[in-house]
Amino acid sequence: MFSKPKDALYTSISRRKFLELGGGAATALGTGSLAVGMNSVMMRTPVQAASSQEAKMKQYAGSKLVFMSENTPPSFAIRDKIKDFYDATGITVEILTDDLPVVLQKVGIDVKGGKADFPVIYAQDKPIGAALADYLADFGKFIKDDTLPQDPEGYGADVWFDNFLDACGSMYEKGKIVALPYDAAVACTFYRQDLFEKYTKDFEKDYKYRMEFTAKTTWKNVLDYATFFKKLKQAGQDVPYGYAQHLGTFAWTTQLDIQRLMYSHGQWLDFNIDDVLGSKKPGPTNWGDATSVEMMKQFKAMADVSHPDNLANGTLELNTVYQSGQIAMQVQYHEFAASVEDEKTSKAAGGKTAYAPCPLGEASWIKNGGKAVNGTNCGIGGIAINKNASEDIQRAAFIFATHAVSKKVQYSVLTGLGGTPTRKSVLAEPDVVAARKRPSKMPNALTFESVYDFGIKAPNFVLGPKIPEVNEYHKILAAELTKCVAGKQSPEDACKAIKKQTDNVNDI
Amino acid sequence: MVSTGSGNAVSTAHDGERYVEGARVIEHMPASLNAVPPSRYYLWLMAPALIVLAAISIYPFFWLIWMSLQNVGAGPEVEFVGLKNFIKLWSDDKFWMGWILLFKYSFFCMFFEITIGVFLAVVLNGHRFENILITIFLMPMMMAPAIAGLVWYYLFNSTFGWYHWLFQSLGILGETSIIGSTETAMAGIVMVDIWQWTPLITLITLAGMKRVPRDQLEANMVDGASAIRNFIAITLPNIYPFLLIAIMLRFMDNFRFIDVIMRLTGGGPAEVTKVLPVYLFDVSFVYFKLGRGSAIALTLLIVTIIFGKLLVKVFESPASKRIDQGN
Repeated sequence: MFSKPKDALYTSISRRKFLELGGGAATALGTGSLAVGMNSVMMRTPVQAASSQEAKMKQYAGSKLVFMSENTPPSFAIRDKIKDFYDATGITVEILTDDLPVVLQKVGIDVKGGKADFPVIYAQDKPIGAALADYLADFGKFIKDDTLPQDPEGYGADVWFDNFLDACGSMYEKGKIVALPYDAAVACTFYRQDLFEKYTKDFEKDYKYRMEFTAKTTWKNVLDYATFFKKLKQAGQDVPYGYAQHLGTFAWTTQLDIQRLMYSHGQWLDFNIDDVLGSKKPGPTNWGDATSVEMMKQFKAMADVSHPDNLANGTLELNTVYQSGQIAMQVQYHEFAASVEDEKTSKAAGGKTAYAPCPLGEASWIKNGGKAVNGTNCGIGGIAINKNASEDIQRAAFIFATHAVSKKVQYSVLTGLGGTPTRKSVLAEPDVVAARKRPSKMPNALTFESVYDFGIKAPNFVLGPKIPEVNEYHKILAAELTKCVAGKQSPEDACKAIKKQTDNVNDI
Repeated sequence: MVSTGSGNAVSTAHDGERYVEGARVIEHMPASLNAVPPSRYYLWLMAPALIVLAAISIYPFFWLIWMSLQNVGAGPEVEFVGLKNFIKLWSDDKFWMGWILLFKYSFFCMFFEITIGVFLAVVLNGHRFENILITIFLMPMMMAPAIAGLVWYYLFNSTFGWYHWLFQSLGILGETSIIGSTETAMAGIVMVDIWQWTPLITLITLAGMKRVPRDQLEANMVDGASAIRNFIAITLPNIYPFLLIAIMLRFMDNFRFIDVIMRLTGGGPAEVTKVLPVYLFDVSFVYFKLGRGSAIALTLLIVTIIFGKLLVKVFESPASKRIDQGN
């Protein structure tokens, strides 16, 4: 099969030689893989403003980018269809996904170390965007650059859902955009309509009003519903608990959980700062004032009638508890509707769940003279560009970022994997309009009325607090809040402890 | 061949060897008389190892000290602050609570692991199925701590966890999971550590038990000692040095490994499992306050070294040496 050269160097190969050759080859391959695999690679063909759209798209053909993202639907969908992007641009994109806290750690180490191993970054508005804004490039210069391909819809605030661009893109400096809205998680109420209908008469006997969910349903009503279900449960009836909260291990969603309650009652804010821009010097926190103490008391009251394993349930676990039929209500992010409506894994599927806006503030609980609103908050995942990267890598990253937030991709994420769009134009598609009613091929669309038509609009939507020390603030708040819920300290002491530690962090 | 005056025929062949009356004589220089190489020679021999060690250990250590003297915040600015990070630790309640919880966690882990580990070693020693059983017992140790944490997270889960169901069925727990209650969360993480690391104690103790002299055991039994008396008087003193090694290893592990805690509780609920290394992780990689984090890490390192030294001191005590020499 093979002919042996007459003056062959080796007529046979010894084991030692085999190992030497193998080792050498492995080292060479390993070094080569490391060099190529770990870094972004840049190739550039210069273009002019008058160049064709195709030339602008392909100016970085042969380049490679690494995108560090949270493990959310858009990243999976884009990864599945990454060949489309490669065909259009010739740029290879490696998409790495992980849990949000891990993304924060990896990206934080990268950018603070002055590196750009991840030129494209998933910048969740507060935990990453507010904390690392100084390391994110301004999209403004790329948007104005006519040698780069631009999205036909543009990137103005009006092409995204209300407040989304501000939520993830505006950090500390007016006019600077550090991220474009990539995916969205907006809070709304999920409740078991079947159980509400079944027990409303019993409820009405005790509480003198109907058990139902509308935009006028207040937090006090929710407390009544939860108390009612708990009483039934304790009486031995085969019913779920009424409610559960976002406690568990993820501090940010715990902060969001009490923020909804607090903002609903007089639009209370954590700091006296611009809610859109945030501040690097936020000054003293408002924790410890009368509203915060009252809200802490009400949050504790809700906890006392919630699911017994409340303290172990983070956002994901809470949704599992709801899916398994252990609770009748949850305030949850609208991206979870897809999993709740999955009949293979959810006891709450098949038309049993209905969706409503976040509860309204209870007028009698307001202490600051403000008005009652349906306090709604969010996590708007932005796509951002690492400022440490070279100019060319940043430009190539912009081409990918605009692809990731294009209408076409957003639509395919919604229809394919149950994502949540950020561009308004997606909602105008006829099949998306149809999906807003049951039976729906896109279950997340069932929440759109509560979220896009109501929750994210003024005066209900709260964006902040955007401060550089936001992650430490979340941890402080979650720790003291859970101590209060566990009965280890009073609501007054919890508020005082949050104020003392937060002011200390902010050098007050 | 060369003729000598005395008539003895001496011939030379190679260096260092000669023939005397037909017999080959090889002259040797005793090794102890070899020329001592200059110290530079040893330095060159050690250089590769020193370079690697410096790159992976010494440089980061000095970098850690340098970082602990800086203020590294959310922005790119770095500022020299001297000992301010250390001074601030004195008034940091979470830092002190972290130490208390770390000692509590380490104490419970080691107490149960040593008690159960030694008991298992005694039972397994000389058992007809010793090899099979020890292999089975070692399995948890083979698992990566992060995976162990994930497995137990699912086992403890109140919605679908098998262990939760078991505890609930036995009336030990109510509807609240073991990691969801401030009263039981510490027990939950200790339980996982016991499950995973007791086999190490068993293995080390078992190795020690193989060295216990049978003649002493038999002599003691002839003198009428019970099995318990035999264990206390003969076995325990003989396995003592082995136990100290096991304690030292586990002690240092407890101060380092937070994979299970991070996966199971993340330091919660209500910070009842926030041992110091978890707090250190938060400060360094969630808040990115690397200066403060370095100061905490340095204190952790120093205390670990001091405790390690104390254990080595005990290990080298005259009592333990006597036992060792006796064998």
